[in-house]
Amino acid sequence: MASVTLRGLTKAFDGATQLALRDLSLEVRDGEFLVLLGPSGCGKTTALRCIAGLEDPTAGDVLIGDRVVTHLPPADRDVAMVFQNYALYPHLTVHENIAFPLELRGVPTAEVGRRVAEAAARLGLADLLGRRPAELSGGQRQRTALARAIVRAPAVFLLDEPLSNLDANLRLELRAVLLALHRALRATMVYVTHDQVDAMTMGDRIAVLHEGRVRQVGSPAEVYQRPADVFVARSLGTPAMNVLAGRARGTAEGGDERMFESGSLRVPVALPTYEGEVQIGVRPEHIGVSGVDQGAGNGDVLNVELLGNETVVHLNAGGQPLVARLPGLVDVQVGTRVGVKVDRHHLHLFDAGGMRIG
Amino acid sequence: MTGTRRWVTLVTVVAAVLAVAVLAVARWQEQRFARAAAVRIAASTAAYLAVVTPPDRADSSDLNLAQLLVQARALTTLPGWRWPVEVYHVTAPLVDAAASPLSPAELERTEPRWRDGAVLVPLRGPAPEGDGAVVGVVAVRPSGRGVVLGVLLAWAFPAALLSVVVAAAGAVRSRPRRHYAAAAALLGLAAYADVRGAARRSTDDWLTATRLLMQEAATRLPGPRIRVVPTDVAPVAAGAEVVWAESAPQAPRRKTVRGERRAVVAVRLGSGRWVEVRTSPAEATTGVWVVVLLGLALIGPLARTALQWVERSATQPRTLRETAAAWGFLAPAALHLAVFSVAPLLFVLYVSVHGAAGAFVGLANFRAVLWDPQVWVSLRNTVLYSLYVPVSMALALAVALVLSRPGRGRPALVLRAVFLLPYMSSVVGVGLVWQSLAGLGPKDWLGTQRTALLVLMLLTVWTQVGAQMMVFLAGLQRIPRAYLDAARVDGANAWQRFWRVTFPLLRPVTLFVLVTGVIGAFQMFTYVYVLTGGGPLHATDVVVHRIYQTGWDALEFGRASALSLLVFGLLLGATWAQFKLLGREAEYA
Repeated sequence: MASVTLRGLTKAFDGATQLALRDLSLEVRDGEFLVLLGPSGCGKTTALRCIAGLEDPTAGDVLIGDRVVTHLPPADRDVAMVFQNYALYPHLTVHENIAFPLELRGVPTAEVGRRVAEAAARLGLADLLGRRPAELSGGQRQRTALARAIVRAPAVFLLDEPLSNLDANLRLELRAVLLALHRALRATMVYVTHDQVDAMTMGDRIAVLHEGRVRQVGSPAEVYQRPADVFVARSLGTPAMNVLAGRARGTAEGGDERMFESGSLRVPVALPTYEGEVQIGVRPEHIGVSGVDQGAGNGDVLNVELLGNETVVHLNAGGQPLVARLPGLVDVQVGTRVGVKVDRHHLHLFDAGGMRIG
Repeated sequence: MTGTRRWVTLVTVVAAVLAVAVLAVARWQEQRFARAAAVRIAASTAAYLAVVTPPDRADSSDLNLAQLLVQARALTTLPGWRWPVEVYHVTAPLVDAAASPLSPAELERTEPRWRDGAVLVPLRGPAPEGDGAVVGVVAVRPSGRGVVLGVLLAWAFPAALLSVVVAAAGAVRSRPRRHYAAAAALLGLAAYADVRGAARRSTDDWLTATRLLMQEAATRLPGPRIRVVPTDVAPVAAGAEVVWAESAPQAPRRKTVRGERRAVVAVRLGSGRWVEVRTSPAEATTGVWVVVLLGLALIGPLARTALQWVERSATQPRTLRETAAAWGFLAPAALHLAVFSVAPLLFVLYVSVHGAAGAFVGLANFRAVLWDPQVWVSLRNTVLYSLYVPVSMALALAVALVLSRPGRGRPALVLRAVFLLPYMSSVVGVGLVWQSLAGLGPKDWLGTQRTALLVLMLLTVWTQVGAQMMVFLAGLQRIPRAYLDAARVDGANAWQRFWRVTFPLLRPVTLFVLVTGVIGAFQMFTYVYVLTGGGPLHATDVVVHRIYQTGWDALEFGRASALSLLVFGLLLGATWAQFKLLGREAEYA
């Protein structure tokens, strides 16, 4: 087991105008399950491939434990990787696929057999060892790929969107399998995904990447509750956080109170030292609906999604789109005007550039 | 529809019409062979009379009438003679004096012709050299059964009845169509058996008549002779071979002489003096009739199916239209395939079982080819030559691996083109360039027995590497990078990645290159033709070159076709084996 440290990692691809990674620094602690979260093109897979040794960084260093491995070949890094498309060798059986990394390292045959059987048993593949990948279901293929990764007990596991090709039920099942593995092996795992549910449910910590940079690293609760910027704020939570752009002004009473105005909304905020252009973030569950003129402002109902346990209401508040998530089934008519309530205890304040204030 | 009265009538009528048609064709052929026998017997009889009848005077061009009368009447008393015959001296009948005389106009024609059911051939007078003058006519009536009896006694008759009954029963009870198809096939084969039997009878009849005439001639030859020699009586067997032989039963039989089927009969010229008359059997030419008769008979079941289909689709006009359209679209390709692929193949099959004279010879050509040591030399050379395939494949794969690595850019593109150039160049031009190259060194590599084939192999490697490289490049690009990434993380070095991942995943492509390469190697001709002509001392005589030489130099097209088919079979076997050994399908997960 080992930690992974990225120091000022920069990667430029031939012919690309933008850098894939820009001075990216990150520390994955020993035994930690770290999720790299970001939209496609944010550099998360490139970062993972740099750790694996499949890409050569343009600048910066990769450390595994205390060892600088920046320019070592993948074979010498003691990492295992699980690929999005599983990358099971189609001409080999399940057994041969799992045994492959051991055989390459010259492990004695008897030992190979024992360890393959152990890994297969752990992932419920014992009955499938004679099959070829084409004869397996998606979930079985992913289990085989995991078995191939765990069989040689590497220092670090690298997982590149391993669940994104599976249907919803299988994802749930394999998340549990992965977490159980993580607990049992106490292994360092770096998990790349664009799926915020994966990130929230599995990660010890989440690193949110955007345009080749780390925007925030923290536990799921931290990142959810105190997003460092608008991008991170909108990356987690469904529907995404409402971000209202507007101005904050002093009130007639003076003091710390500022009045935030955006569209038809007027929200009092505690913002002692700030006036002018500002953005506030409100999660949909912190927006309510009331009678006309009884809230922070009025909005027109654009669309209503009845989900059973909750109701999602899309509003237009004087040009400012808003999404409200109300518990239970709420009777709101499309096309009517309603009052908008904003829970002022759950506001996130960002400056005009999108960075968190306070 | 099936089972109704109208349907039963329709099917029965179709079956009956086709059965009658088959019987008629068979009967027509039987008659044709009977007439052919009559023509030959008449010619032999005329020749016999000219041999045994002395001339009128010493240098007369006419035959002695009194002698001719005796010989002509003696014909009908020959034991075993069963063909009604009449001999006219000028226009006067000699055998049956009461018969009507010939018209003078008949004497002026020399070709065999038919009059009142008998064939007329000219009777020629004595002639030391060349054709003698026409002095009369010999008329022979074909023997055989009448039309009605002929049909009733034929094998095809019960088969025809059966086919009609089966067709009718099938229409009543909606039996599976194959019952009628089987009965129709039986009808076709039975009719063919009748035709073949008639052809055989035709040859046997002539041989029997010829034997009687020759034996009779041996005793009746005029003039002072000590012993009869075959040439004395050979004119009787015009168009056949007469050779000394051992005694044998006197019935005609078949035997194989120098690889060809011959119809023979033994003729006794005197005590202990036997000759054999050999001619080509008429049944050898009947092969085409098995196709015609079987085809005609099978029109019945086809028509039944077509009628059924039309009846059914009449209620569903859209199906009819769509099916017609489908066949319409299929027609050009199917026609092309039939004319340019299937027909030549069938023709080669046909040629391979026929001799130079066009007679059916069975597998004689194949036997001759397999016993020919030069064929074996050419096969050995071809196999040796095809060993270039693994060599050029290894080179092509190596080049493809180097050029396919990412980031090679423009130089790689240029190199690809350079490797492909020899393949795109004119084969003859390349051959000529190599010819002059091979002559440059201290010795003439192409003119040396030990090195000539090797030069050809090198030349082929040089031209084929580029093409095979392109195929391998395409195959390499098809392998997802993830497999190689996974292998790198799993700890594989470059060689292990190639040997344990790339190469197995490339297997379908490798198989394709190998199979097409071996097939191409077996078809190699141009370089041999241009550079060595198969020499020196057959060192580069490959099998297609042997086929060419057998066909166009020796003009043995039957053997050339047989060899072509053998090579075809060999390649089929080799390809099948390659697929069996290497062709486990590699599926990408």
